[in-house]
Amino acid sequence: MIYPEKIKAKKSDKIIKILLSISIGMALILVVINKLTTPNIPWAALVNAGILYSWVVVMYSIKKNINIAGYVLLQTIALSILTIYIDYKLGMKGWSINMAIPIMIMIANMTMLVLTIVSYKKYIKYAIYQLMIVFFSMLPVIFVTEHMVQDKILSVIASGISVLNFMICLLLCARDVKEEIVRKFHM
Amino acid sequence: MRDNKDSKLYWRRLDNSAKIFPMSTGKRYSTVFRLSAVLKERVEPKILEEAVKQTLQKYKSFKVRMKAGFFWYYLEYNTKNPIVEEEQDYPCKYIDSRRNNNYLFKVTYFEDKVNIDIFHSLTDGNSGTIFFKEIIYTYLELMHPEVLNEEERSIRKIEDYDTEDSYMKNYDKKAKSNASGKKAYVLRGEKIKLGAISTIHQIMDLEALKQESKKQGATITQYLTAVLMYSIYQENYMKAKGRKPIKICIPVNLKKYFPSKTMLNFFSYITVEGQMNKDQLDTFEKILDFVKQDFSKRLTEEEIIKTMSTNVKIGTNPLIRPVPLLVKKALVRLSYIEIRKYTTTTFSNIGRIGIIGKYKDYIDYFLMLIAPEPVEKIKCSSCTFENKMVFTFTSILQDNRIEKRFYEFLRERGIKIEIESNGVLDDISRENKSKEK
Repeated sequence: MIYPEKIKAKKSDKIIKILLSISIGMALILVVINKLTTPNIPWAALVNAGILYSWVVVMYSIKKNINIAGYVLLQTIALSILTIYIDYKLGMKGWSINMAIPIMIMIANMTMLVLTIVSYKKYIKYAIYQLMIVFFSMLPVIFVTEHMVQDKILSVIASGISVLNFMICLLLCARDVKEEIVRKFHM
Repeated sequence: MRDNKDSKLYWRRLDNSAKIFPMSTGKRYSTVFRLSAVLKERVEPKILEEAVKQTLQKYKSFKVRMKAGFFWYYLEYNTKNPIVEEEQDYPCKYIDSRRNNNYLFKVTYFEDKVNIDIFHSLTDGNSGTIFFKEIIYTYLELMHPEVLNEEERSIRKIEDYDTEDSYMKNYDKKAKSNASGKKAYVLRGEKIKLGAISTIHQIMDLEALKQESKKQGATITQYLTAVLMYSIYQENYMKAKGRKPIKICIPVNLKKYFPSKTMLNFFSYITVEGQMNKDQLDTFEKILDFVKQDFSKRLTEEEIIKTMSTNVKIGTNPLIRPVPLLVKKALVRLSYIEIRKYTTTTFSNIGRIGIIGKYKDYIDYFLMLIAPEPVEKIKCSSCTFENKMVFTFTSILQDNRIEKRFYEFLRERGIKIEIESNGVLDDISRENKSKEK
């Protein structure tokens, strides 16, 4: 015999499929209960948004060798979408774009700054995510120029911190940033 | 290259052949090939792991992971250690790099056998064999230092290599395509369920095979190609009343034609195209004559340069290069099934695997396997070690009549053959019999 008799199926895939089916089932049940009991309050949609967010995070986290900067980017975008959705469902009071998103952007940038300082030797791993976070951090500027926010200060600070953070990173790791751009955009 | 910041900054573009593989690959199209060494003793996992680590220090072009750029994929230095584990899956399955410390090859073992599954973007069969041989040499040296230390010092040396894209260096910008526009006969039959792959190894007496091919005035590759075409014709083509030509793709090692020390892909192929009905190729003798003629027509430097250059020109086309990777990937995936319909099967003969000195005493034989696909449902490969030539069928078809006909044909001509398999088709025939009852 030069081959094993039984080939093992990948159990983790099966478990994920089962849990995913349970989540979809639960989400549907919640929508039905919501419609039957309190159709005026969209609580099932909020819970389902929470379930969806959890899955996005779980699916990314179970990958081996995840990049911590990629995780920061994912969390920033996923939480931003979640807060806008909750805000929208609760009557679009504007707290998501006035406060929640700028605060998240500030936290993301501070995390990236700490990452850069603590492990600047590995910065090449983070460079492309750092660039994407900077691009995403320009979102509050659009909110301000489009007059979508009442309180402009938080948005300006958030985007300002992002630019400042990027400049610090450039000063510390310009070679890595250049190298990463050459790799990513070679033709 | 030490594990310092400079080595971490190492990256390289994919060679011209390698570019298409990550765009088309997935669970159904793994584009993985496997090399195995069946030793004469039980494999020690810890020592094998150490051997793989030491070999990676010598062949850094394998210590890489794949990343997606905006226009193309590329390879960069992998800081992690490779994973060595017991064989658990079917051979040549898709390598999920996320579960493999990002490596594009996977070393596994089972009892006396060491396997390496290699994603084709990393290298081809020829360079893969050099890397695998180094793992086996290093493993044996670690296992038997008292016997092999002297051999290691006196006669063993690492082959000089580089990582140039030899396609770019050698292709002819003016060469015109010689590809046939005709679609090939696609093998018919029910597929094996649940992603299983059947593997049948036919271990032949090399001397007897040599004599038989010589008697017929053919090389071993020509002879086996003819037997394969005949087996397909008898057991699949005739029953399905096929009309399209049987096309067998034969990979060609370009290092035989151009000076190159690259460890990256550097192969091309010829396609033997048998118009079975039109040319009345209905006996083995006629098929063999046709194969010999077709080989002499196609296996020339000029023809090989044409095929290679046509493929290089696609990858370097100024209209294709600036297309974003996401779009390229979608287009390749959409067209890949159609592209594959130009080949019935592939037969890759990597030839003799030469092992030096006392190292030979620890090895029984080598195996080479290539992944079958939804269109090319059977693929064939072979390699030789000492007096054993192993011809391997990897298949996703439920019936093994082609494999049986191939075996019986050679046995009738006096070639001794032993069979080894992974038992997938035995299980299926057992299940079918119990259903019939």
